[in-house]
Amino acid sequence: MSAFDRRRWVLTASVVLAILVVAGALIVFAGADPVVGIQGLVEGVSSSPYRVGEVLVGAVPIGIVALTLIPALRAGVFSVGAEGQIVVGAIAATGAVFAVDSLLQGTAPSILLWPVGLLAGAAGGGAMAMLPAFLAVRWRVNEILSTLLLNYLAAGLLGWTLRTWLASPDETATPQSAKLPEAAALPSLIPGTRAHWGILLVIVIAVAFFLWRRSAASTRLTVFASRPKLALRLGATRARTVYSTMLVSGLGAGVVGWIQVAGVNDRLLNSVSGGVGFSGLAVALLGGLAPIGIVLAALFFSALTAGAVGMQSATGTVPSSIAEVIKGVLLIGVACIAAYQRSAAAVLGPVGAKDAADDTAVLAPEPGGAGGGSVAEREVTIGTLAESEHAEHEGGRP
Amino acid sequence: MSVELWVAIIAGALALAAPLVFAGIGEGFVERAGRINLGIEGMMIMGAFTGVWAASIGGPLLGLAAGVAVGLVLAVGMNLVIYRLHANEIVVGLAVTMLGLGLSTYLYQLWIPSGQTNVTVQTVPRTGLGPLADIPVVGPILFGQSPLVYAAALLLVVAWAVMRFTRFGLAVQAVGTDPASAALRGVRVQKTGASALLIGGALAGLGGAVITVGTIGSFTPDITAGRGYIVLAVVIMGRSRPIGIALGALLFAFLQSFALLSQSTALTLPSEVYQSIPYLVTLVVLVITSRNQLRRLSRTTRVRAT
Repeated sequence: MSAFDRRRWVLTASVVLAILVVAGALIVFAGADPVVGIQGLVEGVSSSPYRVGEVLVGAVPIGIVALTLIPALRAGVFSVGAEGQIVVGAIAATGAVFAVDSLLQGTAPSILLWPVGLLAGAAGGGAMAMLPAFLAVRWRVNEILSTLLLNYLAAGLLGWTLRTWLASPDETATPQSAKLPEAAALPSLIPGTRAHWGILLVIVIAVAFFLWRRSAASTRLTVFASRPKLALRLGATRARTVYSTMLVSGLGAGVVGWIQVAGVNDRLLNSVSGGVGFSGLAVALLGGLAPIGIVLAALFFSALTAGAVGMQSATGTVPSSIAEVIKGVLLIGVACIAAYQRSAAAVLGPVGAKDAADDTAVLAPEPGGAGGGSVAEREVTIGTLAESEHAEHEGGRP
Repeated sequence: MSVELWVAIIAGALALAAPLVFAGIGEGFVERAGRINLGIEGMMIMGAFTGVWAASIGGPLLGLAAGVAVGLVLAVGMNLVIYRLHANEIVVGLAVTMLGLGLSTYLYQLWIPSGQTNVTVQTVPRTGLGPLADIPVVGPILFGQSPLVYAAALLLVVAWAVMRFTRFGLAVQAVGTDPASAALRGVRVQKTGASALLIGGALAGLGGAVITVGTIGSFTPDITAGRGYIVLAVVIMGRSRPIGIALGALLFAFLQSFALLSQSTALTLPSEVYQSIPYLVTLVVLVITSRNQLRRLSRTTRVRAT
């Protein structure tokens, strides 16, 4: 026990150290002084209320995507489609708001336009998530690949939308929609900043998932990840699990699409998703699939992005993309730490790194003779990634 | 559409397929060994950047070598955290992709600060097969290609032979299909899996370098545009077989080439449709492959049919 704990602390300390070393090395490599860089980073997030507001604004979409990914990741369903779901949600929300507004000849009140945007966004994101869920349930199409490919299709849809039916009537340098009606915009929560009411939504969702963790449904998903057959007896079929968890993440991502349009940009832009989907996945893992951890991780990610911009202007030479490098290193570190964490979610556990004997539980009989079906089989292995890992950790669980 | 246009489309498709084939063959080894490398996108973009940078110093061959080297380094790192620290390979793969996209952008912006013109390097010179390339239709398609296209074709044969006839190839297959039995027969499971990922990393880095040093001659952030994910789809579509990977890569590359060249012609579909077709068709083929594999699996085993 103590050796176990010590190893975890050593790992955590090494990860923090590694990140500092990498960040320092990158700053020095750029010919800047790390101290000036760190000062710029801190100023970037805290020097004015506006900048603090920007950190909050950036954390909202990441937080919502990460929170609504909890059920999917808990069940071992790796959806990487938030990016595309945000896009479709944003298109649906923008279209619906404009449609309702023109139906009422521009007199639609906020009390109508907010729910319209929210529901349309959620519907768009949810519908976009149902497609890979269907493919995964019906034909075992790997959901990682299908969602990744669908992200590119969503990007194409957005590009076309912004050139045609939602294009701004004005000549603009970059493709964008017209400005949303004033009444559709989410009001600012803190005066003098762009921080909007979406922040409260994050808190609501976080509380909801905090309560949900203790529910039977949550337990069923955890069981599904580790023991699909046992979960079946508890009523969690593969179809039901995949559909429900991917729907939740799709709804969340769709709402984010609406929030980015109505709360931040006031219009639909090509950059509406802007990497939020991938950051959300990373934040969900970084936060250990726990609501509080996720909210903190989302704030940290957002602060890193905002701080890196501050660092760029303070040093003059360090590109703000340093934030992305640090996020990547951080995610690797989290994966290492999680491997030694007993309560870690199944998806974070080690795969394929065990002695061969441990793997037998995962393997289906080989179809088609020697070397004949390794791919099909690997599919099966991916679907039950968590299985053998949990067998290891089960014993140590309280 | 005219014959010339079709010739240009098909010739372009072969050129566009080369990086997918390189990275795909590497990932074929990884998946045959029962693993998956979601870091391909990151490795390819790092290879693409490092390739241009090194080529600007020492010419295109050094660029390709640098691409291989950076892919290898990333693969060594992945092996380390996956095998030594037992990290989840899917999470690590996604993290490597994030890291690669970020680091390539960072280094590029340091190398060429905004406002300066991008560096263009000399691409791999065409060998010039002389009179053969002047044959109408067939000439430009088969004999007018960059040497890298021929190298990709050669590598396909080599990969097939290695997988089929060498001790290492058989070990990879054994580890991928039944690690427990393989271990009992004296195959070193971890070492084989790690070696497969090294091959995958080196070839992904090379594939990235082939994109920039092979044809374009310069780097821009996000230049790989999801090619790494396409490679993963292609390998699953091709059931990790060299020939299947090659066909999948050619299909995607053909559609991409078609999209690039036919936008300017009389067909009046929106340009986004052309850009989306390669991804859409890849998804459709992936669905068909998965469906067939599921059927085969349920016929032979009847397990996990729920």
